[in-house]
Amino acid sequence: MDERFSGFGAFILSTITAGMMVFILAPLLLVMAVSVSDSYFVTFPPQGFTLKWYAKVLQDRDFLEAMRLSILLALGTTAGSLLLGVPAAFALVRGNFFGLAAIKGFLLSPLIFPALITGLALLQVLTKLGSQDARLNLLIGHVVVTSPYVIRTVVTSLQLVDENLEDAARTLGANRLTTFWRVTLPQIASGVAAGGLFAFMVSFDNYPVTMWLANSEYSPVPLVLMRQLVNVFDPSVPAMSTIIILMAMVGVLLLEKLVGLRRALAA
Amino acid sequence: MTTSEDAVAVLGAQAPPAARWGSRWRLALPVGLLAVPMLAFLAYFFFYPAIQLLLSSIQTQDSRGIIGRPFTLAHYTRLINVELYARVLWTTLRISIITSVLATVLAYPVALVMVKSRPMITRIITLIVIAPLIVSVVVRGYGWQLILQNGPKGMLNWILMTLHVVDAPLSVLYTEAAVVIGSLHVFFPMMVLPLASALGKIDPNLEDAARMLGAPWWRVFLRVTLPLSMPGFVAGFTLVFSLTAGSFVIPAILGGASAVMLGNLIEQQIFVVYDWPFGAAIAVVLVGLVLAINGVSMWLLEGRRLRRPE
Repeated sequence: MDERFSGFGAFILSTITAGMMVFILAPLLLVMAVSVSDSYFVTFPPQGFTLKWYAKVLQDRDFLEAMRLSILLALGTTAGSLLLGVPAAFALVRGNFFGLAAIKGFLLSPLIFPALITGLALLQVLTKLGSQDARLNLLIGHVVVTSPYVIRTVVTSLQLVDENLEDAARTLGANRLTTFWRVTLPQIASGVAAGGLFAFMVSFDNYPVTMWLANSEYSPVPLVLMRQLVNVFDPSVPAMSTIIILMAMVGVLLLEKLVGLRRALAA
Repeated sequence: MTTSEDAVAVLGAQAPPAARWGSRWRLALPVGLLAVPMLAFLAYFFFYPAIQLLLSSIQTQDSRGIIGRPFTLAHYTRLINVELYARVLWTTLRISIITSVLATVLAYPVALVMVKSRPMITRIITLIVIAPLIVSVVVRGYGWQLILQNGPKGMLNWILMTLHVVDAPLSVLYTEAAVVIGSLHVFFPMMVLPLASALGKIDPNLEDAARMLGAPWWRVFLRVTLPLSMPGFVAGFTLVFSLTAGSFVIPAILGGASAVMLGNLIEQQIFVVYDWPFGAAIAVVLVGLVLAINGVSMWLLEGRRLRRPE
């Protein structure tokens, strides 16, 4: 806290801030703490230390299958939303046509629409179409909710690209594709990567869309976790949760490295 | 000469050689066309389904489960007239408002400290605020379930009883309070980030000027900082309200039977009762609520109706 805030004001601000930091971290730290607790029920305070719940989780067929499905789904979603989102972001930044603002609002609208309803509406239409492949339905649903994230991050990074460099490349004889590949893409690479990472993480964690489109055969991680939470009372649930927390931390660190967290989330 | 040969002759006379024509076409290709695939995808898998949902909310379902005519508003009147459902609507509104207000009050100091501190502290706070955003909502709900657990084995009760603050364990889990706490945890970053970005844009000279003219810190805050940060406040409030109103996981994990929200009611109507039109009507009301608050905030932000200090 610098000198511009002083005395009583600074004291109150720092106290509330510190309190909120504890509030934010407490549930995550508690989950991690009880995951190594050596008792057959989740209790507080945790007793002893053991890694046996991790061993149990890593042999749990349902959980491993859900992990595999979620990772494949998130990879597919990332690919799909990049393929649709990057060109669209390009159009939004470089295009100069009537109704640009309206189209931008149109493309970003899944962000303000409750995801729960997006999933429900999609379920109704896909059922009518007779689409029974849960994996395909999940992929479509996830791309709908993740592609706006790609647009947002790519638009932000495209706005920082110096168009003179592209003009220079073109003047020197490069065609559009070469110019994009050799000049533009390297400049927006971190934005594209951040968008893709966002898509991956949003897809991996998505419950409200997944809930409608999954079936008993194809249940991604959030659904399996929710089921376990109701039925299992030993510390294998916190162990699964800790694995997911650690994966998320890796994602956050990558994001911080790629673009800086504040910038990735802003705009 | 036939008409088509005529056309070829005319085109031939004016069109450049084939290769050049191709490259000209590529150069002239409007960059706007790049948005077409995504527009088509969203039109088909987002807007069309949304309109279908709206449509089925005013249709009737026969005994075989087929949805069609006659059109009716009965599902909407049912939501308001049946006390059980009306209560869910009020619970949703109440939880969303309380969560957004609490988030504002608690996020403001955090955002201020985040913006005004030394870089190191700013970085740490940013990381702590943002990191949980990426952790699964199910996991975070579970964490709060462990903390708020009713009975002496819950972390909160254990601490309170060990410190002799209370003699008997509190029952927090499966109440509205638990849902507010969980929602606050999940959506807090959505309030801090817009606030911090608005606060960061304020010219520090304005605050310095007020201070040099003799204003105490609280007056600088009330007359300069607070009014200038209103865009961040409006954006954050809208986000937290919309996300809380549309949430499903947190009320399902922490609310139990006593804090059912609209999202949970929809799920129940579709998966348990199979009443599609009624489920769709609740969905439309929820969307209406979210769009209304977004509309008001856009009106406030873009109409520059937020007063700037003179």
